[in-house]
Amino acid sequence: MSISQEAKLSLLGWSFRGAGVSVRERVAFTADEIREALTKLSSGGVISEGVIVSTCHRSEIYSFVADDGARTALTRFVSEWRGLDQAELEGSSFYRSGGDAARHLFRVAAGLDSLALGESEVLGQVRQALSLARESGTTRAVMHRLFESAVAAGKRVRTETEISRHPLSVSSIGFELARKVFGDFSRHRVLVIGAGETGSLFARHAVEAGVREPVIVNRTLSRAQELASGIRGRAVPWESLAGEVPQADVVVSATSSPGHVVTRPAVEAAMRERRGRPMMFLDLAVPRDIAPDVSEVYNVYSYSIDDLEEVAKENRARRAREVPLAEKIVEEELETYLAWLGNLSVVPTVIQWRNHLDHLRDLELERAPAAERERLKGQLDAFSSRILFEPMKRLKGEGDAARKLDRVEAVRHLFDLDKE
Amino acid sequence: MDSHVLGWVAVGLYAAAEAYTILSLIRSRLPALPGPILIGAGLVFQFVDLEVRARAMHSVPYKTIGGSMSLFGWMLGLSYLALLFRHRERAVGPFLIPFVILFSTLGLLLPQAAPQARPDTRGAMFALHVTFAILGYAAFTFSFVLSLLYLIQNRQLRKVKTGLLFSRLPALESIGGMIRTSVSIGLTVLGASVVLGVIWAERVWGTLPDAKLGAAILTLAVYGFLLWKDRRGWVGERVALLSILGFALILFSYTFVNFYFSAEHAFK
Repeated sequence: MSISQEAKLSLLGWSFRGAGVSVRERVAFTADEIREALTKLSSGGVISEGVIVSTCHRSEIYSFVADDGARTALTRFVSEWRGLDQAELEGSSFYRSGGDAARHLFRVAAGLDSLALGESEVLGQVRQALSLARESGTTRAVMHRLFESAVAAGKRVRTETEISRHPLSVSSIGFELARKVFGDFSRHRVLVIGAGETGSLFARHAVEAGVREPVIVNRTLSRAQELASGIRGRAVPWESLAGEVPQADVVVSATSSPGHVVTRPAVEAAMRERRGRPMMFLDLAVPRDIAPDVSEVYNVYSYSIDDLEEVAKENRARRAREVPLAEKIVEEELETYLAWLGNLSVVPTVIQWRNHLDHLRDLELERAPAAERERLKGQLDAFSSRILFEPMKRLKGEGDAARKLDRVEAVRHLFDLDKE
Repeated sequence: MDSHVLGWVAVGLYAAAEAYTILSLIRSRLPALPGPILIGAGLVFQFVDLEVRARAMHSVPYKTIGGSMSLFGWMLGLSYLALLFRHRERAVGPFLIPFVILFSTLGLLLPQAAPQARPDTRGAMFALHVTFAILGYAAFTFSFVLSLLYLIQNRQLRKVKTGLLFSRLPALESIGGMIRTSVSIGLTVLGASVVLGVIWAERVWGTLPDAKLGAAILTLAVYGFLLWKDRRGWVGERVALLSILGFALILFSYTFVNFYFSAEHAFK
């Protein structure tokens, strides 16, 4: 890393917090576009290192930039590349630099800046962003360390807190409940009634959860077949519903039927056939598909959409309670990273500072009579050593990593060391 | 070895196992192995302690209240390991291991002095009868605790309470399987104990005892009925309740029947 990079980490981003979907969808990058953009930014001299994180909720450009006009330069680049209005882009963007930019990345990786607090997908997306940047040749040691540290912070947050533990989506909660009745899903059967949007989502989730060959029942068989073929499920005609219910351990219903699709007598008959083995009904429909009194049948667990949404609400509160601990972990990891960066930066800055004063001394000596130079050199050296002694001591002794980085940046700015 | 240093080392290892299993519930990525290793090491130390007592008494150490409690604690530890290896469900550890600690500690604190041994209670058959009975009761103790856990988890599912306990307790099917295993073990060894006891009593006393035998047979009948119904679809809450009833019968047999209706067969 060149010295000029250390205080110039910059972040330009558009996230769901400040940019509407109409902006986000236009600044979103595919993997190929990320490679292309990074190559252009790097070859055009806008950035010396860079990583682009792009998800459906955010597009963020992390870079080490050569001058102070990073925000304008990067916005102009995106504007020209995408053919978008620069003022509009600038108005909906946010900009961070130095430790604040690093902190933002760590919080993103930890899921603390996500729409669904603590979501896990973003950690993989941050890792993927680093991987794409490496392929494009736009990362070196410091950027790499920054992203690796952010991923480590994200992992720690998920391991040491419960921020990702409690599911938020209705389908995940349904499966969480089913898992607490049946345990391992691979040995159990799931029946999905209704091949609409909700039913399809649930069926796909079931396959991801390890269910083998979920059975899909729909009034229009072709729709059930279409869904089943995509998830290696089995479609059965509506008329077979009564025969399928006793075979299923978990029945998920999401139809637009005005009346009950599954009634208590049908469930009692099914339980007799099952010799009392437990059954679970997840009713995602409004109006309800499963008769409410089904839950009174022995060993039957039945949940309505309201039950599941109530759990989602509780889980959101549970995740929120983990935020202080997660923030603490983020700060610890950030401090470790900044300490590493600070140690990397202080020594070369001090050497440059000393060289800068030596250069000024030499300029003065050139104007002095030759006979006086040796004596004057000694005096000027002693003078500059006295001037440098206290600031260098304070710079090296600063314990707070972020403050140390800020002070290094201040010295570099005040003495114009980057110019040298 | 009067100080039972090895016994206390065993209790310390059980306590460490308890702490580790609690920690591994909080941090699910911790390896599972240290828990059973600590229990296994505790069992070895406690066995040596029991062996020392047995040599001093010239008998399996069930003739003192302290010895029998220690033996019971050791059997609980053994049953716990058996359940763990059969079901691979470490989430029940924090709820079962305290019983191992409790009875093993009582075994070290309660009186150790043996009463005068009755001459008729010598011999391998009597020793096996008592040892099997203690192992059977240990297994039934766990089926009782597991049944309570089943009812708690079942209630949480019914009330849609998805808090800390809900997330930490295993699935109902898993707890049900463990109840089945512990009842099967208990039924087998207690059945063997009753058979051995009857043979021994006929041979030594020339007659069949007594109210305590009746209570033991009733206990076997309850647990046998439980397993039979379990296989015929009574899975779930009712099985858990029946298991609790069975355990209540054991307590009744150990206390009321033991002290008031069983003069010859009393354990005091």
